[in-house]
Amino acid sequence: MIILLRFAGLGLALVVALLFAVFVGDQGPWYFAWAVGTVMIILVAAAGAVLFDAQVEQYTPEGEF
Amino acid sequence: MDLINPAVVDLSRFQFALTALYHFMFVPLTLGLTFMLAAMETVYVVTGKQIYKDMALFWGKLFGINFALGVATGLTMEFEFGTNWSMYSRFFGDMFGTPLAIEGLMAFFMESTFVGLMFFGWDRLSKPGHLAITYLVALGSNLSALWILVANASMNMPNGAHFDPETLRMTFDSFVGVVFNPDAQAKFVHTSVAGYVAASMFVMGISAFYLLRKQHREFAARSFRMAALFGIFSTVAVITLGDVLGRLDYEHQPTKIAAIEGLWHTSKPPYEPWIVAALPNDAKQESSYEIGVPFVLTPLITHSFDTPITGMIELEEAAAPRIASGITAVSALRRYEENHQAADLELFRAHQDDMGFGLLATRHAPNQDVTAIEPEQLQNVIEQTKPDILPNVFVTFWSFRLMVFLGMFFFVLFAMASYLSLKNQLERNRLFLKLCMWSIPLPVLATEFGWITAEAGRQPWTVFDRLPTFMSASTHGVSYMLFSLAGFTVLYSIFIAVELYLMFKFARLGPEAHAPHDDHADPAHLSVVAH
Ligand code: HEM
Repeated sequence: MIILLRFAGLGLALVVALLFAVFVGDQGPWYFAWAVGTVMIILVAAAGAVLFDAQVEQYTPEGEF
Repeated sequence: MDLINPAVVDLSRFQFALTALYHFMFVPLTLGLTFMLAAMETVYVVTGKQIYKDMALFWGKLFGINFALGVATGLTMEFEFGTNWSMYSRFFGDMFGTPLAIEGLMAFFMESTFVGLMFFGWDRLSKPGHLAITYLVALGSNLSALWILVANASMNMPNGAHFDPETLRMTFDSFVGVVFNPDAQAKFVHTSVAGYVAASMFVMGISAFYLLRKQHREFAARSFRMAALFGIFSTVAVITLGDVLGRLDYEHQPTKIAAIEGLWHTSKPPYEPWIVAALPNDAKQESSYEIGVPFVLTPLITHSFDTPITGMIELEEAAAPRIASGITAVSALRRYEENHQAADLELFRAHQDDMGFGLLATRHAPNQDVTAIEPEQLQNVIEQTKPDILPNVFVTFWSFRLMVFLGMFFFVLFAMASYLSLKNQLERNRLFLKLCMWSIPLPVLATEFGWITAEAGRQPWTVFDRLPTFMSASTHGVSYMLFSLAGFTVLYSIFIAVELYLMFKFARLGPEAHAPHDDHADPAHLSVVAH
């Protein structure tokens, strides 16, 4: 039951997000671009950090970090 | 009606420019650092690596210093509208007040509450809980900027409002129209991502300083990597939105775009060059020493190859009938105010789109009263008013160019920084690291030039095409204005001095003072930085 409720909650959140995206994408395309772009920039920067860690592990003796 | 003393108008403008430019030395960092903190903390929560928490804590501390001083400098500005720009507030307060009030609520309730939780909640909240708070701080600070830019955009492109001849003020029609004003959207995104650029340069520059000194290398190399990637994408976004703003100016503020491009005469597509450098002379209405790149201006501004862009001289000519029509509108409105005759109202309505131009003519009317203009004087008044429709070309032209040149420089710098960081070749390029360090203030400088472009380019209006700046100020005395100007200058200079002192102090101290476990100081561990 809890799992079902959780799915229902997540589903509702998804619908709200989609409606938001459709409305904002229609009325304010640049606002929408800002939201998507900001998330993307954060993810790229985060991926860069994770890659850094991977590079460090590759270059340094095992188990250093 | 007596006009406000021009010296008071100039002093009010100077004071606003000064306080706004001072305030905006703090804002970009707040807008950008919050999202960078969120990125660092995201990596911490996902990977569980302590160093990312240290990064969030250390850069968070620098953000805290900046945030406190930024709020202090911003507060006074909100009051300035009432104290120094009461005529403007009366005319445009309905429109301007709403976003400003929402901004106040955002800044004081949302931002401040979450900032408190972000700083003091590390040990009290779960990891994802704290991360959510950091995202909310970032969202809150950017949303408060949104409302200021919505307000500012409505001065540049008054959407969602109309002038009411009964109340003599602009009346709010549509909240959605105001918030989704295309100019508001573009201004918000351009300014927000300009903040990301400033924060990236800040983090990258201080990290470069540590790398140069071989201090906190693990910490610095990771911070550098994240900032470089954050910066390159943000710079692409700032340039893209800059293009959007230029196009909106072309569509809605022809005098601003002509001044930005130093275009005295209507362009000749497709050859028309984009002027890289020139010396515009406002008095002579011409530019000397022009250096341009042919075939660039038309596609750049109009996104086509054959559409001409109207030059300033032609815009002046085109304004003549609008000035005449505006004088009719203002005269009809004055009569309607006194007698409430339907015929006057009808006449006003027929000419109301040009009312601003009638107000602009006030300065040149006998006794500064457009109703007193005799038919034989009309042409003379129109001729005198025509040059008033243009902003200061030298200032607008150069502030725009400096912003754009800096933008191009950031693109190259962040691209190289990302490349060198990804290739692990940072430390062998000491000159490049020094360049990164010295570039820290440049994005803030670019945002200042951006604001000068936007605001100087909007002149002679406070509300574009509707309300002239010289009619917008309060009726203070010169000595009052001088006194308050001196007060602001001293106070704000102290704020800047405190910010710089604290920033230098804590940046020099570095992350270790904070988190004792940045302990892999052995360069061998960091071969990745030097390879
Ligand atoms: C490189 C290409 C760029 C272009 C084409 C560009 C274009 C513009 C234009 C046309 C305006 C005036 C908008 C108006 O009419 O009100 C403006 C304003 C502004 N710009 Fe830029 N810009 C560029 C780069 C930058 C950079 C690098 C920064 C800062 C890092 C920046 C920060 C600002 C700010 C803060 C404003 C004032 C707020 C606004 O009106 O949006 N710009 N920009």
